[in-house]
Amino acid sequence: MDVTWKLFATLGEAAGDTEVTVTVSDDATVAKALDSLFEKYPAVAEEARAENGSIYEHVRTLHEGEDVENPLDSDRGVAAGDELALFPPVSGG
Amino acid sequence: MKPVSIVGPSDAGKTTLVERLTELLADRGPVATVKHLRCPPDIDTAGTDTARHREAGATETYGIQGDGTWFATGTDRTLGDTLDDLAPDYEYVLVEGYSDTALPAIALGGREHAGEALLSASSADSVDLEAAVQAIEGVDPYETLTALIARAAESEQAEYAGAIATFTGRVRAKNGPDDARTESLEFERYDEIAAERVETIREELTDREGVFEVLVNHRTGVVEAGADVVYVVVLAGHRAEAFRAVEDTIDRVKDEVPLFKKEVTVEDDFWAHER
Repeated sequence: MDVTWKLFATLGEAAGDTEVTVTVSDDATVAKALDSLFEKYPAVAEEARAENGSIYEHVRTLHEGEDVENPLDSDRGVAAGDELALFPPVSGG
Repeated sequence: MKPVSIVGPSDAGKTTLVERLTELLADRGPVATVKHLRCPPDIDTAGTDTARHREAGATETYGIQGDGTWFATGTDRTLGDTLDDLAPDYEYVLVEGYSDTALPAIALGGREHAGEALLSASSADSVDLEAAVQAIEGVDPYETLTALIARAAESEQAEYAGAIATFTGRVRAKNGPDDARTESLEFERYDEIAAERVETIREELTDREGVFEVLVNHRTGVVEAGADVVYVVVLAGHRAEAFRAVEDTIDRVKDEVPLFKKEVTVEDDFWAHER
């Protein structure tokens, strides 16, 4: 099934788009969706992930508008068509 | 206020479309229109009193009747000036022409335009009016500080309000004399989530005793140096609550709302979190 990743600032630039789709298995979790994103877009992985594979602390992951802590360990399930987002620290105002 | 341009070649029916949309929108809120003229207006004609005022050196002149009907003529007026003046009192502004501005556009006859495309059609007759109205409703509002203050003062609790306090965030060109000049900032926004977060901030601030209305508007896209980025307007019983609410609102907007700033200087461009 497909899920959508919204990518902002440097992450969007790394992917070349502010919205991308990744394919995951029907029982996928947020962690799996993140893995698929990084596999399909290595440039995004480079921006979001340290060498040891953990996500930079300042990068936030949202699933359907809710913050997901420790997304690489998250077993929160995703459904077809769900919207996830990955972004660096906010800088509005 | 939602400004939209209707653009197209001269026989595509722009005026007809403006008429039809005005009729529909006027049921929802006050409508103003602007037309981009190709030749001088046939008004204030030679020999009239106001024409004589202008000839003598008056830059701007108004003719006003007892019943309030009026006209005005002048020079150097821009579309931007006009939208700023209309923002406080009008909900919709339909602009006929001006395809080279960044207004969201309904394009007839394949006319190219600089702004976001709302709808395209070959002519006025082939426009789905309901779809056009929905598209206009979905446009990012054009706000001025004056318009927000006017809106705040319309609150049901305005009779208890003794204070209006505001904050304006603008694009700073330089941090100091040796700083590389910033030419513009560009803002990206995670739309639905940003709207939710702003709504939460507004609700929580208006829950405070004596705070009656909190309005926030943040521009997206490119904003030039010296231009305004964000407005916060608070209507409150007294000044202490008003000042505190303004400060807390902008601090929370900066902290919680998914907006992302890219800075373009004369030397470089970079996203804010990179520095």
